[in-house]
Amino acid sequence: MKISLDGLRAVRGDWSLSVDGVFTEGIHLVSGDVGSGKSTLALLLAGLFVPLSGTVERESIASAMMIFQFPEFHITGESLESECKTWGVDPAAVLAAAGLAGRKTASPHDLSRGELKRLVLACVLARNYDLLILDEPFSSLDCREKERLCLSLSGRRKGITIIFTHEQACFPRVDRIWEISGGSLHDRGRLPSAIGRWDHAPAVVKDLIARGKFPENISQADLLEAACRT
Amino acid sequence: MQDIRLRAGAAAILSLAAFTSIPGAAVVFIWWLIFSRPLQVLRKMQMVIPAIILIGFFGLVLELTGGGGISYVLRMTVIILIGAWVYSGYCQGEFLKLGTWLLGRKTGFDLGLVAEMGMQSLELMVSDFTRIRQAQELKGKHFGLRSLVPAGSILIHGALMRADETAELMAMRGYTHGGSYCPAFETPVRDIIAGIAALCMGIIAFIPVSEFFILYH
Repeated sequence: MKISLDGLRAVRGDWSLSVDGVFTEGIHLVSGDVGSGKSTLALLLAGLFVPLSGTVERESIASAMMIFQFPEFHITGESLESECKTWGVDPAAVLAAAGLAGRKTASPHDLSRGELKRLVLACVLARNYDLLILDEPFSSLDCREKERLCLSLSGRRKGITIIFTHEQACFPRVDRIWEISGGSLHDRGRLPSAIGRWDHAPAVVKDLIARGKFPENISQADLLEAACRT
Repeated sequence: MQDIRLRAGAAAILSLAAFTSIPGAAVVFIWWLIFSRPLQVLRKMQMVIPAIILIGFFGLVLELTGGGGISYVLRMTVIILIGAWVYSGYCQGEFLKLGTWLLGRKTGFDLGLVAEMGMQSLELMVSDFTRIRQAQELKGKHFGLRSLVPAGSILIHGALMRADETAELMAMRGYTHGGSYCPAFETPVRDIIAGIAALCMGIIAFIPVSEFFILYH
């Protein structure tokens, strides 16, 4: 199972993005500044943006899903229960996982953006997509929900998961780090060696490295373990 | 047309002329072909063709039920083309300029600001609509007429939320009404020629043809 990007070039007005790379099974983190092209790359991977040149090849990927930064775009149901059904998941289990049990008759429009994000993410994670693309999945979530999402994502060992984010606090355990800078996608490699090459690493990670404490991964548990290492 | 005063004025005259009669629509269409850079407008405004098809559907229903559908479609099509021309030339801030120039720094400024916010909201709604369509297709739902209701509710809900947030922000920043603004306009010769031509088309559309041949009588 893999998705290969070969000589891909996307253009939007004066701005352009060049991409070469192969995303294999596992969890990939793509970081970059705001406006660097993360969302455009996510759209390219999902087949929702037509590149100027190059190819996107999917191998053994039977099902794919992309979650946009703003969860309201995904809403098609009139109630939370019917919304879950449009995703093909069990409403009772998913609403409980999203912390929305007992509100199955409520309209999705009555939820706050954070609640809606929780609902959409719970629906998506209840399915086992071969390719899951998450554009800024941590936005609109509070710290506790970010941690819960990280735990869920870390547990997703099957399929390709690609997380696009500029989050600086909470991360799941990831297999590979990528960065977008200067209009290109850069592969920083597999963890843990990728951490040392990660330009957009959060301050806490950079601080640990400066003190000679290289974390094994970037989840909170890994960072805590590195910080407490003597 | 760079000058929003001439563009808005010409659009008002031409829309009225096109709506009045089929000959009026015909002369306005000729004006549109000459002065609007039609290919550029159609390329930029991709919603024009679907809008004309929608009008065509209503026209067909009108023709089958009571008549007059063909006239309605022809006149409305020309009005849509004029609307597309006005929108395709839009530059941020120009309705604020127009409002302030036309009605002053209180009412004019407010109306211009409302128009600007409306235009910005329209742009956001277009990009949101694209994302909603993509999200529904990802869910395995074919985007058709039945998808328009949930898509419309998301767009309207989003627009109302944004309007509410903008209003609260403006109130917090001390905005009550009016503002100081000195609008400046650029008026190239081509704009003046197009404006005079629009006025002529309006006169031709409103004055009966026989009046032109008064000397002949």
